[in-house]
Amino acid sequence: MPSNTSFPMTRRQALHSGTFGVGTLALAWILNRDQLLAEPAKPDLERKRFDLALKKPHHAPKAKAMISLFMQGGPSHMDLLDPKSELTKLDGKPFPGQIKYDNAAEASSTVLGSPWKFAKHGQSGIDVSELLPHTAGVIDDICVVRSMHTDVNNHVQSIHALNTGRIVSGHPTLGSWVCYGLGSETQTLPAFVALPDPVSLPVSTTEHWSNGWLPAVYQGTVVRPREPRIPNLDPPPYLKGEPQQKLLKYLEELNRDHLSKRPGELDLEARIASYGLAAQMQTAAKEALDLSQETEAIKNMYGMNEPATADYGARCLIARRLIERGVRFVQVFTSNQFWDNHGSIRTTLPAACKKTDKPAAALVRDLKQRGLLDSTLVMWGGEMGRLPVIQNNAGPAKVGRDHNTYGFTMWFAGGGMKGGHVHGATDEFGHHAIENKVSQHDFHATLLHLFGLDAKKLVYSRNNQELSLLDGHEGRIVKEILR
Amino acid sequence: MHFLTRLALSVMIPLAVVSTAIADDSPQFNTHIRPLFKAYCTECHGESEKPKGGLDLRLRRFVLKGGKGGPSLVVGKPDESLLIEKIRSGEMPPGKKKLTPAEVDLLSKWIATGAKVETDEPATLATGFQIAPEDRQFWAFQPIRRLAVPKVEDHVRTPIDAFLAVKLHDKQMRFSAEADRVTIIRRLTFDLIGLPPTTAEIDAFVADQDSQAYEKLVDRLLASPRYGERWARHWLDVAGYADSEGGSPEDPLRANAWKYRDYVIRAMNKDKPFDQFIREQLAGDELAATPWNLTDPETVEKLTATGFLRMAPDGSGAPGADQKLARNAVVTDTVKIVSSAFLGITVGCAQCHNHRYDPVPQTDFYRLRAFLEPGYDPAAWKPPAARQLSLYTEADRKKAAEIETEAAKIDKDRLAKQQTFIDQTFDKEVAKLPEALREPAKLARKTPEAKRNAEQKKLMQEHPSLNVSAGSLYLYDSKAAAELKKLVEQATEVRKKKPVEEFVRVLTDTPGKLPPTHLHHRGDPDQPKQVVAPGGLTVLDDVLPLPNPQAVPGGSSGRRLALAKWLTDPKHPLTARVIVNRIWMEHFGRGLVGTPGDFGRLGERPTHPELLDWLASEFVSTGWSLKQLHRLILTSVAYRQSSARNAKTDTDPDDRLLGRYPLRRLDAEAVRDASLAVSGKLNLEQFGPPVPVMEDDAGMAVIGKANRDGAGYKLGDESLPTGQESRRSIYVQVRRSKPLVVLDVFDWATIEPNCEARKSSTATPQSLLLLNNEFTLAQAAHFADRVRKEAGTDPRKQVTLAWRLAYGTEPQSIEADKAIAFVASQTNIFESAAPPPPPMKNAAAPTKVKGKGPIEPPPPPPTAAERALTVYCQALLISNRFLYVD
Repeated sequence: MPSNTSFPMTRRQALHSGTFGVGTLALAWILNRDQLLAEPAKPDLERKRFDLALKKPHHAPKAKAMISLFMQGGPSHMDLLDPKSELTKLDGKPFPGQIKYDNAAEASSTVLGSPWKFAKHGQSGIDVSELLPHTAGVIDDICVVRSMHTDVNNHVQSIHALNTGRIVSGHPTLGSWVCYGLGSETQTLPAFVALPDPVSLPVSTTEHWSNGWLPAVYQGTVVRPREPRIPNLDPPPYLKGEPQQKLLKYLEELNRDHLSKRPGELDLEARIASYGLAAQMQTAAKEALDLSQETEAIKNMYGMNEPATADYGARCLIARRLIERGVRFVQVFTSNQFWDNHGSIRTTLPAACKKTDKPAAALVRDLKQRGLLDSTLVMWGGEMGRLPVIQNNAGPAKVGRDHNTYGFTMWFAGGGMKGGHVHGATDEFGHHAIENKVSQHDFHATLLHLFGLDAKKLVYSRNNQELSLLDGHEGRIVKEILR
Repeated sequence: MHFLTRLALSVMIPLAVVSTAIADDSPQFNTHIRPLFKAYCTECHGESEKPKGGLDLRLRRFVLKGGKGGPSLVVGKPDESLLIEKIRSGEMPPGKKKLTPAEVDLLSKWIATGAKVETDEPATLATGFQIAPEDRQFWAFQPIRRLAVPKVEDHVRTPIDAFLAVKLHDKQMRFSAEADRVTIIRRLTFDLIGLPPTTAEIDAFVADQDSQAYEKLVDRLLASPRYGERWARHWLDVAGYADSEGGSPEDPLRANAWKYRDYVIRAMNKDKPFDQFIREQLAGDELAATPWNLTDPETVEKLTATGFLRMAPDGSGAPGADQKLARNAVVTDTVKIVSSAFLGITVGCAQCHNHRYDPVPQTDFYRLRAFLEPGYDPAAWKPPAARQLSLYTEADRKKAAEIETEAAKIDKDRLAKQQTFIDQTFDKEVAKLPEALREPAKLARKTPEAKRNAEQKKLMQEHPSLNVSAGSLYLYDSKAAAELKKLVEQATEVRKKKPVEEFVRVLTDTPGKLPPTHLHHRGDPDQPKQVVAPGGLTVLDDVLPLPNPQAVPGGSSGRRLALAKWLTDPKHPLTARVIVNRIWMEHFGRGLVGTPGDFGRLGERPTHPELLDWLASEFVSTGWSLKQLHRLILTSVAYRQSSARNAKTDTDPDDRLLGRYPLRRLDAEAVRDASLAVSGKLNLEQFGPPVPVMEDDAGMAVIGKANRDGAGYKLGDESLPTGQESRRSIYVQVRRSKPLVVLDVFDWATIEPNCEARKSSTATPQSLLLLNNEFTLAQAAHFADRVRKEAGTDPRKQVTLAWRLAYGTEPQSIEADKAIAFVASQTNIFESAAPPPPPMKNAAAPTKVKGKGPIEPPPPPPTAAERALTVYCQALLISNRFLYVD
């Protein structure tokens, strides 16, 4: 567990204290926090206190924040970022090897060559599908990992694997672990924010931002996909200012007194902290979510003025604004099974790309032009890829691809990752990762490493057990993709 | 060292004894080795149609025989065994998932110690998915075993305590001391009726000298009509209750769903035996005597109960829905609801393929589905609107027809009179024209509008008063119009005498029709495969086979009745355990099985299996009485103990052993209902159509009756009759797309399609809501009003009463002093502040609305002191002490 000492003031903090007016209420809370920080480290005799005060990482971090663009359903890597000429050759013919179907006795074994063209882009000359023209434009800032695999069979399990390192529900997610390990760089916004799609929650719903058995203070906060994005931000006129400030002070006295007779109740502590945060968010969240402060050029860049990309663009832009203000971990979701192209892949995959390609690329570009990309890790990918063979062989318009967790692609940008780089490879058909494979545990070890955390040392004591994100698995830091 | 010694010894065991069961500690095939093979190997080597490489690892003798590469092992010599070689070299299993070193050691040890199996193996084994004996032996599929209550040296009140104490003692722990009386009445009252105790109730209980005071309290609360409102809600989570259809963005309302809600509340209140409750929900229509006598309340009750099977989200009524997919989704979700509610097994996972962890073949999903398809026939689909069963009787219908005739007569008279009035008026208007125009005008009027010539049109335009019609008559002749209006009212009054036509939402078979249920390849309704007959879980076929359904009088297939009887058979290993576990979960915050909807391999194992079985057995033998079960649990030492933590209880951080009572947050309904109760506004009206929910100007779901045009402009009043906005949360409309924000933020049930267990989060949106939401602010103001009314103007009396109402105890004097100081300082702030601008409040806000009576003058703005007391009351209502129960 990293110790409770603060970083020197970071550029991000400087930015944040400079950009918005710190009201009296906010000041009180910040002072309160600073006082907390100034407390000498106490011996570990009494109950641990869990909060979002800044913690010292294990080593110098590259990344301070992460934005996960989670493509729920499993984007078809061989149609997007992992071209397979062998499949094009064999299109319509029987698959020559063995397929690891989601269910062995089922599905067809007819090869489906990618219906889309690939071309080399950027100085790095990485192959990108015509479905991702905007991503192609920032490919030199992107590290494409073509050898991801979780080897578990279905959406929920693979989502759990990538989020929590385990395949069953109830465990803490990556975002919770990072906030637990590092605390928050903002005390005026939640450290961990989830931005779900207006249509529906992803498969596994709220578990994507669950704290599992970590204390509730590390839970993600949902920002709604439509107005009011955060409800109840405005106090009524008569409470604004001093009356509510005094109310919060009195409330904290009541709650502290209550807690003092119930030491160790982490939920009670978390709620006290949450009132503190709520007080702050009244001004800070409003400011952070106010996209009218952005120029038209920026909005256009994110596709906010086109129907297909308006929502996703807005949420990517919100992600950037949150990161800029010190939020540690932001998840931007697509709707339920958005990329689960079992059928009609010829129409559903282009539609999915259309919604996400431009905003995702804009996010990378925008972070870079603001000097934030170096310290912000952007992740793009889903819980699986697709199979090289046809599913639902009912005519070209209806064909799709089944699940494949044995080899799939994710990309990363910034936060200490190499740009214009390809890591790992799947076999000639895109079925199995075979070269420089990256498991969920390697993925976790690497991401935590970028945050300055040692995945083996980041543990939480529970029931006399030291539990970690790796859960006893060997997680290799994939040094080859680090700058 | 120890291992090596044993290894050396066991190698010497002669092979002849290998296949007989021996109680030694060497690894055994079924117990230790087969699960390893199942996890890593048998998907290819045994469960596929053709085992790869000819190798089948499902039986020991198949392992010995080996595949194309020869025998897979040399008994006694792991290092010479092909199996070990393949594993150690990394060749097998292919892929990332490898055996751990410990597992390889276990396998080697098994070979070294003679590759033993504990029982004789079956002579034959069919290909494909097989349920192995070990799978059958999984705890959840075992018959319920009622063990003797253990004898323990500890303070115990009920057998429950004895079972719990054994495990506590194993860890050198004991129960905590009994909680004090104020704590216990607050805990018990919230638990049983979802509301806080009143101050009078607290005083009476604290003063009760009777040794049975606690038991009396339990009985009083169980007898309260509020009990059913609380516990029905728990069951509605499991049923996935909603007042809207879902399944499409329009999310249309689902009329009359509330009758099922009321059925559940009544069932809980009268302690309907739970087995009967289950049978009615699954097959009430098949239980009711035929032909249905719709004037018989019992028949109607049974029919209403089948509303349970109509709870799944249903997009099949949405315009443009893909009917095949939409219908399939409804039936699939209903199978999921039924299986998770009663079986606690994730049968839903077998929709597309054999269950990966539990012994549930894909066919099981379709076996269950076959029970439903005579009622949910995708080929003869009843759209949502057609599922209403009218409760009109023949007599009602006749009466209604008679009344209609009477009303129609009035209508006819009125139309005739109307024509006369119009003609008279026209004549008067014509008379005003110059003589020359009169005849042409009469002719023009007689000519239908479309056939008038240009001259006639011009005439009528130039003299608009000639265009008298039914709609404009009142402009000419108000007396005539009033007379006609009276007749309209008269007809309406007559029609009101018709018997009210009530409907219930039911699921019934199409009599005499048995649609075949097909297994869907990969769950795809476009790829139907073999026909599957109705059946229970295959894994239980030996323990408790499901008898063939028999058609019931009236022609219903009897399938659902057969399912219901099977589920409620006292020998069913799952149903009673699942129900008892849910009840336990609601009382203690966590089930004895931590995963109430998954008793399978991926679920948690029971913390106290013997206790779970004892309770299940007791529940069944006392006639499936929930109230009896509550009594049993609530009178235990475990339930009555304090929630305080100490060093000892901290060794069990999740409180699985129950060395203390867990501190718990109020759930969504209790947060809202308790605020209303304390503010004095709670309206206890029972039953009936749900209190409507609409979106306010900010897009938040609030209570109110939407009255807006397509662009969102308010067309008129959106208020409800006074008091409706303050009814208990169970009566608030459950609109899937518009969950009431106060409930939603506090982790209301997510019904996709149903809710196994609620979460209890502390997310910041809750704090924002409690600080700023209209609901909290309004309740704080009502609370302050109540306090002023009951305590008068003395500040100490005010803060003390408010404290008592919110927390149930007197404040200590220092607490009261602080509260007085707080109110005083708030008063100062409000006094010195400039008067706030007049409220520009959103008129749609539900708490602002008034009744439909004469317009009331706006109340005078609150004084500084009144405001200050409101803020203090808000602090109490949003404090942890109010939101949590010890």
